[in-house]
Parts: sequence; structure tokens; C-alpha cells
Amino acid sequence: MTQQDLHNQRLLKEAEQKVMHQHTRRHFIKESAMGLGALALGSMFGSCGNSSSSTTANLFDAANPLAPKAPMFPGKAKSVIFIHMAGAPSQLELFSYKPELAKLDGLECPQSLLEGKKFAFIRGVPKMLGPQANFRQHGQSGTWMSDYLPHLSTMVDDMAIINSVTTEQFNHAPAQLLMHTGSARLGRPSMGSWVTYGLGSENKNLPGFVVLTSGGNNPDAGKSVWGSGFLPSVYQGVQCRSEGDPVLFIKDPAGMDRDLRKASIDAINKVNQQQYEEYKDPEILSRIAQYEMAYKMQISVPDVMNINDEPAAMHEMYGTSPGEASFANNILLARKLVEKGVRFVQLFDWGWDMHGDSSGNAVNIGLVNKCRKVDKPITALLLDLKQRGLLDETLVVWGAEFGRTPMRENREGKEMLFKGRDHHAEAFTIWMAGGGIKGGVTYGETDEIGYSVVSGKTEVYDIQATILNQLGFNHEQFTYESQGRPFRLTDVSGKVITDILA
Amino acid sequence: MTVVSSKKIIILAVLIVIIGGLAFFLYQPKKIDYNTQVKPILNKNCISCHGGVKQKAGFSLLFREEALANTESGRPAILPGNPDESELIRRITVSDPEERMPYKHAPLAKSEISILKQWIKEGAQWGEHWAYLPVENEPIPTSSNKWIRNNIDQFIFQKLKNENLSPSTEADKATLLRRVSLDLIGMPPNNSLIKNFLQSTSTNAYEQLVDSLLASPAYGEKWTTLWLDLARFADTRGFEADRRRSIWKYRDWVINAFNNDKPYDRFITEQIAGDLMPDPNDALYIATAFHRNTMTNDEGGTENEEYRTAAVVDRVNTTWSGLMGTTFNCVQCHSHPYDPFKHEEYYKFLAFFNNSRDEDTQAEYPLLRQYKTEDSIKLREVVKWVNQNVSEQKSKEYYKFLKTWQPTINSLQCDQFVNGALISSWYAGLRNNGTCRLKNVVLNKKSQVMYRYNTKHDGGNWLIYLDSLGGKLLKAVPLQNTKGSWKVAVSNIPETDGKRVLYFKYHNPGIKSPDENGVVFEWFQFGENFPGKEKPGFDSTFKYFNDLLYADVETTPIMIENNAEQFRESNVFIRGSWLEKGPKVTPGVPHILNPLPAGAPKNRLGLAMWLTDKKNPLVARTMVNRLWEQLFGTGLVETLEDMGTQGSAPSHKELLDYLSYKFMNEYQWSIKKLVKEIVLSATYRQDSKVNENLLQKDPANKWYARGPRIRLTAEQLRDQTLAVSNLLNDTMYGKSVMPYQPEGIWRSPYNGDKWVVSTGGNQYRRSLYTYLKRTAPFPSMITFDGGAREVCIIRRIRTNTPLQALNTLNDSSYIIMARNFAINIRQNAGKDPSAQIKRGYEWMFYKPITTNKLNALIQLYQTAFNKFSKDKNATNEMLGGDSRNANPETAAMVVVANALFNLDEWVNKN
Repeated sequence: MTQQDLHNQRLLKEAEQKVMHQHTRRHFIKESAMGLGALALGSMFGSCGNSSSSTTANLFDAANPLAPKAPMFPGKAKSVIFIHMAGAPSQLELFSYKPELAKLDGLECPQSLLEGKKFAFIRGVPKMLGPQANFRQHGQSGTWMSDYLPHLSTMVDDMAIINSVTTEQFNHAPAQLLMHTGSARLGRPSMGSWVTYGLGSENKNLPGFVVLTSGGNNPDAGKSVWGSGFLPSVYQGVQCRSEGDPVLFIKDPAGMDRDLRKASIDAINKVNQQQYEEYKDPEILSRIAQYEMAYKMQISVPDVMNINDEPAAMHEMYGTSPGEASFANNILLARKLVEKGVRFVQLFDWGWDMHGDSSGNAVNIGLVNKCRKVDKPITALLLDLKQRGLLDETLVVWGAEFGRTPMRENREGKEMLFKGRDHHAEAFTIWMAGGGIKGGVTYGETDEIGYSVVSGKTEVYDIQATILNQLGFNHEQFTYESQGRPFRLTDVSGKVITDILA
Repeated sequence: MTVVSSKKIIILAVLIVIIGGLAFFLYQPKKIDYNTQVKPILNKNCISCHGGVKQKAGFSLLFREEALANTESGRPAILPGNPDESELIRRITVSDPEERMPYKHAPLAKSEISILKQWIKEGAQWGEHWAYLPVENEPIPTSSNKWIRNNIDQFIFQKLKNENLSPSTEADKATLLRRVSLDLIGMPPNNSLIKNFLQSTSTNAYEQLVDSLLASPAYGEKWTTLWLDLARFADTRGFEADRRRSIWKYRDWVINAFNNDKPYDRFITEQIAGDLMPDPNDALYIATAFHRNTMTNDEGGTENEEYRTAAVVDRVNTTWSGLMGTTFNCVQCHSHPYDPFKHEEYYKFLAFFNNSRDEDTQAEYPLLRQYKTEDSIKLREVVKWVNQNVSEQKSKEYYKFLKTWQPTINSLQCDQFVNGALISSWYAGLRNNGTCRLKNVVLNKKSQVMYRYNTKHDGGNWLIYLDSLGGKLLKAVPLQNTKGSWKVAVSNIPETDGKRVLYFKYHNPGIKSPDENGVVFEWFQFGENFPGKEKPGFDSTFKYFNDLLYADVETTPIMIENNAEQFRESNVFIRGSWLEKGPKVTPGVPHILNPLPAGAPKNRLGLAMWLTDKKNPLVARTMVNRLWEQLFGTGLVETLEDMGTQGSAPSHKELLDYLSYKFMNEYQWSIKKLVKEIVLSATYRQDSKVNENLLQKDPANKWYARGPRIRLTAEQLRDQTLAVSNLLNDTMYGKSVMPYQPEGIWRSPYNGDKWVVSTGGNQYRRSLYTYLKRTAPFPSMITFDGGAREVCIIRRIRTNTPLQALNTLNDSSYIIMARNFAINIRQNAGKDPSAQIKRGYEWMFYKPITTNKLNALIQLYQTAFNKFSKDKNATNEMLGGDSRNANPETAAMVVVANALFNLDEWVNKN
């Protein structure tokens, strides 16, 4: 064994011990005992209303379900663009700088890191995989970012990078559901639905919650990640396509012009109004609203989804080409949509699941290519929002359902052809910008190999609580009564990450 | 500072607890009920750390014996009768945040603490959750209110009285006619039924209508949709490539079962275990396709055992959620967090399903082979001859083999490839001098090997060695060139014995390139020579047998049980991982439920006997709840998917039990009888109008003070519009069809398959025949809340969105329907547009249109007419190039018809 090997082994041992130490419960309690006491007392006095839930009326006006509503308190952000890299990119190649991991490259992973753990594909004893990217410090804040994202690294002083996010799920569909609905099982409303329910829409002619997908596939969890769960269905996300009809059946039939369609919807709604007078079923009012919305969408959706008329400089900046189903086009559309008052734009880009089973799925090949396709557009989005004065009121969130292992994936216990990393629930990165988020911040730490969080542990619920907070909602009080009990997006958890707020 | 404030906190907290406790004891008259009072507190606050998943500090509250046992501290946390000495009470009331439970969460409310104290004082008794207790024959309330028509109404009326509500009167005849037709046959009734019912003055008219609808073949088609959701029936296999699967015969089997009112116990039994019933015919085999609707992963390089296991797990989960309304899938990884199911019990249950023959093969074996008529005759001859000349037992074996190609060994069982590979993870492929291994082959009394293979080369030899590559050469089999197609061949082998390991080698000096594939095998069968060689008729029978191996057949994936040679052991999977096998298990059912019936075999047939045992508390309740939900929009237990402690509480538990008991006993599991009782009730027949007072008191119609008013399903909506516009092709059964859908919906990687619109009226078949591709379902089905059926769809959640409006307004299919309807009413419903619209409305709703509604539509007609009078081109377009009808009048009527098909009253049943 060489000197270097010995050194590396010692490093691994130390990393391990650090993880163990940081994770003992006693240690954690000492850190937060006082805070907990105060919290407990607060809820003892403050939450008497909890059980008498009949006082928390739902905010649903069936006659005008999307009317703009004031949040609980003045929020910094008016709208949200959530950019989800479906499949989960490696934080270790992008944001989480781990020089020590490089030294361990190729060594067997110590048993203690594997005991009691379950991985999607790793079997037996995998080898450690050093970071494949080069990291440098950027901006005035000196934030570390990898050379996979050369454009975005110019924006670090506007971003708060949270390197200490953890989740409970390590399979795509349930983890995506948890991230967007607060539950790994089907049936809860998505974040965009909650926001649209709470704030309504500022644009009567567009849906309050728009979903754009790219990468050739829908996210693994399907359309449930933008479903409205038990909230009224008007709050579910509306999927728009960037090629073909932007929304299915948006075009009037041949021979029917706009005036005639207007007359026809007026007639339908008049008859439906009569039906309402007779039956008094609020769902009829909801249908009348949906038909009005449908009519308006027929004009406004093709209009807003059309990027042909954007100036050449915009196309250059975003890297867009009209008519394509691309992530870049979707990002430009996201800007157009929030500009028009859409509350929540949810983007999913598929194809980030870098297992190393092919070159396209290798963290040193496929990931580089995927980054190339998103780096410029995301950077352009931040710059563009900034130059339009919209960044202050638009919260941009970038993330995925989980992270990747510091170990190299060894599917079926065999070395794979390419370098890949397995799903990892214990530590990953999400960043936010705009909407009252402090720039130039790196929040939370993982151990030296990026396996576990050692400080600033951030749960998925905390991300959700922070997003709601920026929009003006106390996530603990923002509830909806269903099946006899109040539900909230963050279930029974969540705390606002105050350290990243401006 | 800190000291002072901590003390204050403690004093305050203690005071609150004391006051709260005192207040509670003073006002607590009744004994605490575990299910309704204690369990909700535990579920909400404690179970996530002290339950099935985690048992922190060695303490679990799931079962009484666990909760009263010693914890890590060496003492129990609950001392029945003694709350003050119980650690549990101390820990929820203590002020030190490091000790106080729930840890890191808000403390329990005073009232909750009091309940727990009193409960421990009263002995800390556990109660069984209602859904796990046997179905009771509930006494029927005996109100004499005139509104009441049958026993259902007695139960409903009692609750209404408690809630201070009164029921609504009966809906008008027209509304009732449309409601009950959509509910029973999923589309409008035929003209004679309409006429008979509306004109009849008999008090029996409604019941006669119901009987006619129940007898209509369209009844089976309607209710099949419900079952296809549960059975996750689709026309493709799912996952990345999502290739086609031919399993539509199962759909047709379900239609027939509903139409013949196959008793539900028999219905389930045939689907779970038809292949294990005596002498299964084609129908019994096809019934078992129920559990072959699981996904198959065709992606190259996947581990077949992983996806075989995934399919088995899906069968377990579907059996529980679909047939027993229980979320059992949590138990896959750990004991149930809330309900009394143990981790090991999942795998005991899984063991029932773990011995089916399917192995995620590309061909989806085992398949039922259905022969054409002349081949069927040959099959009958072979079976008859073997029966007469050899034995009945042998004739059954040959029948099974010719019908299913089972038992065979899939070549994907081969391993240790050298100079060869498992091609695309399904087929053993060998190059020149390539070798591989096949384990666990029973060779006792085996005199031949039959094999299905494919080679493009002459002169190849397949060498079979015993025990090792250096072992005894059992046989050198010359392989005839199949010229790239699959062939079945037979070779004699010398008899040997035991369960042996075989090594295969392919030798062909004619192949020069080392990378070139020599032979590919699909399956092997080690067996006996065709029997009765000495008997008359052998030659012709043997020829028939060989003909049948190559016959052109229709196939359907089915269940076949492994024989003794192929028996698979079952294990607990540690934390749910199929690679981490724990202790061995044998088939068994959860201890909390009814035991396996006496004499039930420990296989799928025994499982079916257990499910349909009247002592099973879940099966009848789940189906009754589901049927109720179909008719009323919400189940008596709202969460169809979960009747466990985390599900909604039943709104009418006694009614659920009354119906479930009757379903099993008096009705002998007849679904038609049960459905009839429900639709004959006054509860079902109520008017669905609501007023502000009622809306406020019961917004969701939980107490049924009004009739059901719910949006139609995707299928009902499309079918009724096809029917009223006279386009519906009511041909039953057969391969799935492709109605019009927009371009670019199908987009699967690695699969160039295309949606080709059906012709010859097939595009207008009922919606349950629409082709369902899992990764790209038919858009209007999804828009109206149908699902992709990748897994069991337990409940469709209804939505109301602008996309639905766009669909029925603009989808070409709906425009075609509007055209046809417009042409019809112009031809057959009077001269002037007003009369035509009136009549058209009556065709749709069986009642006259109100003046206000009519006026709105006449105004639309006029606007459209004026426009089309001036625009010939638009007129032509509106009629889709139908020059015979391209006049402004018809074009305007198309616009009106389009509006009619978008009315709220059309999209809903009222």
C-alpha cells in the first residue's frame, strides 16, 4: 500500500467518523434545545384553534375561483418558476465542491456507509467516484461552482445555493411527488395548485398554473405532480406544449371564427346559468367559469406560447429556436408567462438520471451535454427577469427530486461501462434566486465526501415552507379542509430557511 | 434569564395539564372508545416513530402486546389501570423538550392527554378496526316515513333525521330515465325503452325499465370499465418501449361475466385461479389474464427477475387495493405503520403469487394458444387418441402443452456465458464454441429434449454436457438451419437421472467470424417421447401434434402455476428489496383477518377460497362500496382505496354492512341484484336539486338528502354523444380500436409504432374498446380523468377544467358528432329551426326545453346562420366537405349541436 493510499484511507475514516458524530441525537438536541422549548410554548398558547377546525373556512369561491386573493402577509414574490431536472442531476458535479472525494476516487466504499442503507441500483461494495468536474470560486461571494455551468456561475451573487437538502424517497416517482405535493403517495395537491388556490390568478385569460415539459418524456410520476388532489380541480396545472397545438384542441373547428365561438360559449353559459338557477349546484358555476377561461385561453395561450416575435437578441441570449420542443424554449416561455401574471410555472426537463449505463447517462459525458442545454437559458432567464425588474418579485427555484451518491454506481454489483452515480436521498442541492432570496449565499454543509448533511439540514418540507413564505403564506396556517381535517402542503413538518432570505 | 424562563414554562405547562386533566375528569361520563378516540391521537402523533416502521426506544403502539411489553428502558411504557405511573403519560406531559413527546413537535392538546390518561385508567384496551371485523347482519331501522321505499332508505333516513335533514322528492321521470340509463348501461336507452317508460302509468314502470337495462348487453360494457381500471387493463406493456400486448380477450371475458351476472365470488375465483380449477377451458385461462395485466419491461439489459418480482408485487398490491380496499403496499418494506399487518405477512401473501410461470420474457410466456377451427379438430383428435391409447393423465398433459407450451424452461435461465450472451436479456445466444450453463434440470425418465431455436447456419451442433463442460457428453444435437425463423425441434437423449446442471456448447467450424451469433434458443423442454408408438393411429396423431406446434394461433397472456420441478421458494425481502432475501416463507394470510378456510390448498386457488369466504371482512364491503360509488359519486367509505385506520370513516357503516351481508348471503354474490336494490331505493331516485340551506349543511351530499349529480366519466360522455348523434357502432368485443386523436400523441423511444385511425365504423365503437397505450393514453380519456392504468386505478377523482371544455368544443370527433346530429334533426325534427332545436333537446334529455334555454340557442342559431349565409367557404368547412349538406341552415345547426353537447346538463347526470 502506498503512502497515498494510506492517506486516503485515513481520510475516509475521518469522513465516516464525522458523519457518525454529527448524527448523534444528543448533539443535535444540544444545538436546538432552547429553540424547541420556545416553539413548544408558542404552539401551546397559539394553536388552540387547531382542533376547532370548523373556523378555518376554505377559500373557494365557486363563482370566481381564480379571482386574485391577498396572501396572509405581504409576500416578496408574486410568482414562482420551478425548474425541475427530472431524473436528478449530480450535485457533486455541479454545486457541491468536494475536493476530498477526488482523493478517494476508485477506493472501495467503507462498509459503515453502506450498512442499513438501501440504494436503487448499487449492490455489494461500490467504489468511490471523485468529482468529474472542475470547481472554481465565482463572483464577489466566492461561491464554488463547477465548469459544467460556465454561464450560471456568473450569476452566483444572485443565488442562494442550498447544499444540504435531504428527502425521504430515493425512487423518482415518489420523490417527485414528495417534492411537489408534500406526500410520496398519490392524491395530494401540488405546490402550484396550493399557490393558485391561495392567490388566484392575475391574468384572467391564462391558467394560474402552467406546466411545461421537455426532454422527450413527462416526469416519472406523471401528471399527478401537477394535480390538484383534494383541492377544486380548477387549480390543477395546465400542460402546454411547445410544438403542435400549444394546448390540445385549442383551435376552433374549421368554419368557426372567433365571433361565432364567442356567441356559442355565451349561449352555452346562458343555458348553464339557467341550469344553475334550477339546481343550485356550485359545480355548474365552476363549469361556466371554465368555459369562459377556455375561450380566453384560445387567444391568450397561442399568443403567449408564440416566441417567433421575440427579438433576435432574445433568441441569442436564451439559445432558443422557435418551433422546437426544447428546454430553452420553455424557459423563455416561463418568463413570458410570469410577465403575463401566471402564478406558478412548473418546468420539468427529463433525462438527468445519470446512472452510467450509457455514455448519454454518464456523469462525465451525458451530464455535460445536458448542462450545455440548460446553462445558457437559465442564466438568460435570471438576467432577463433582472433587466425587466421582475426578478425581485419572481422566485426562481432550481432542483430535482434527490441527489446522487458519492459512490460510483455498480449495477448488479458489476463495474459499469461508464461513470455514473446512483440515486441518493441524503444530500442534494437546490438553489433559489429572486423573490426576496438573498444572493451570494451558500447554505448548509455536507461531509467531506458529500454523503450526509452535517449542518443546515433542509427537508423538502422546508423548501416548500420557504416558497410559501416568499409568496406571503405561513405554511402552518395555510390549510384546506378535506375529509374532516385540515391539510397543508408541508403536512406536519417544514420550517422557513430564514438564513437565505434577503 | 434562561433559568427563570424555563421555570416559568414548566409551571405553566404543569398548570395547564392539571387544569385540563381536572376539567376532563369532571366531565367524562362515557368509557373511552379506542377506535374513535384513542387511535386517531396515536396515528397522528405517535405512530410514525412508535409503530410499524420505526419502534424508537423499543416502543411500538401498533399492537397491544407490543405496547405493554418492556421497552429498551426495561419497563413497559403503559401500565393498564395506572396512568400516573405510565411512562407514556409522563413523557407527553413532561416539560423538558429533550424528553417530551411527540419529540420535536407540538405537545398533545389537553383533551388528547386526558383521553389517553382515562384510556389507560380503564385498562388500555385495544379495539379492532371496524373493517377487519366480520360483516354483521345489521338490524334494519323501522321508520314508517312515507318517503321510504326499501331498506336502504331506512338507513339513510335514520341518519338524515340525526343530521336534522329531510330527503328530497323523486326526480322527474325524464331525469330519472337518463340517470339510470347512464348508470346501468353507460349510454342512452334505446327508443322503445324511452317510449315505454315515459308513456307508462304503471307503478312498476321504473322497475321494468331497470330490469330491461340490466338485461341489456350494454350493461356489461358499462360495468367492465370499472373493472378494467382495477385490473389495470391496457393494450401495451408499459415502461420505456411500451410495446403492444394482445390481451383484449380478457376485456371481453369481463363483459360476458358482467352480462351473465357471474356471481362475484366465482368472478374473483376464476380471475385469481382459473388455471388451477379442474380441467380449465379457454375462458378460465383467459380470466387469469387479470393478473397478467402487470407491466413487462422490454428495455434491453434489464434484470428479468427484478421485473418478474415487480409484477408479483403488483399482483399482491392490486389484490389488496382492488379487491380488499386496503393499502397493503406499505407492508412491502416494513410492518404497516398504522394498520395491524406485519412485514412478514406481506411475503406470506406474496408467496401465493410467486409460483406463476411468467418471467418477464419478451414473448410474455405463458400464453394461451387458441387454434383455428381445423386445428381445433386436430387438437381434439390428439387428446382423444392419447386418452384412449395411453392414459387420461397423459392426454391432459398434452392438452395443456398444446394450449400453453407449458411446462417449458425459458432460455433466459441460462447463465455463465462464455463466447455467448443473454441476448437483450431474454434469449440464450451462442457463438462458435460458445458455452453456457442451465441449472436445476430434472432428468429422471426424460428421453427427449424439445427446443425452440433460431439459426441462420448450416452444420451447427449443440453439445449438451452433464455436470460440467468437461463432464459426460449427454448428446450432440445437429441443428438444422432455420433460415432466421423460429422452429421447434426434438432430439432424443439418453435417459439419466437426478436434478442436474447442464452445460451447452455450440460448435460450428463453418462460422469464421468470432463475433457472429451461431444459434439462439428461446425455450427447452426435457420430457418423454410422444407416447403410444406401438398403437394404431400413432403416425397420424404424431403428425397432428407436430402440425399444432406450428399452427397459426391467437394468443393471450395467462397464469400457469409452476410444476414441482420448477417450484420457486419465497422469502421475506429485507426492507422490500428483492435482492436482500430474508427468512423463507410459505403462503399464508394476515393473522388479523379470517384464517384460510379448512382444506384450502396453499396456492392461488386457496387464496381465492379465502377471499370469497363469507368470513372475509373486506371483499364484500369493498365491492359494495365501489358499486355505491359508481352510482352516487362517493363511496359509503369515501376512500375506496383504504378502509383501514387512515382511510375515511364510513358515513353509513350499518348500511354498508347490511348491503355487504345481503350481497354475500341472500343475493349469493349477484351484482345485478345488489345494483337493482340500490337504484330502486328512494335515496337513489331523489331529485338532485339543492338549496342554500342544504348546501351549507351538507355540501358534499354525504347524508344523501338529495340525489346524485355528478360529471359523467370519459367513457359515458363520449358514448352518449356518439349514441345521440346516431354514429355509435354497437358491435361488441374484439381487438381494441383507434378513434381519431391529434397527431404527435404517441411518442415512445425505441418504438416506431403508429396510431392508425380505424375505419369502417370502428372509430365509433364504445369507448371501452379504445386502444390504450400506457405511456400515451387517448387524450380525451385522460382529460376526463381516466388513467394510464400502469397500476390499479382504485378511484377516479373527478375534475372540472378548461381543457375539458376545449375537448368537447373543438375535438374533431365532437364536431363530426355535432354534424351528424344537426343533419338528423334537420331531416327529422320539423321544419323551422326552433322546432328542430326543441326536438333535438328532447332527444337528448327526454323532456321539453325551457323557454329561456331555447331562446339562448335560437339566438345562437340566428347569429350562426347570418354568418354562414355570407360565407360559403366557412359553411363548407363546418360541414367538413359534405357538399350535399353544405348550406347555411345546416352549418348553423352544427354550431347549435356543438353547443348542446357542451351543456352542463349533458356533461353531468342530473
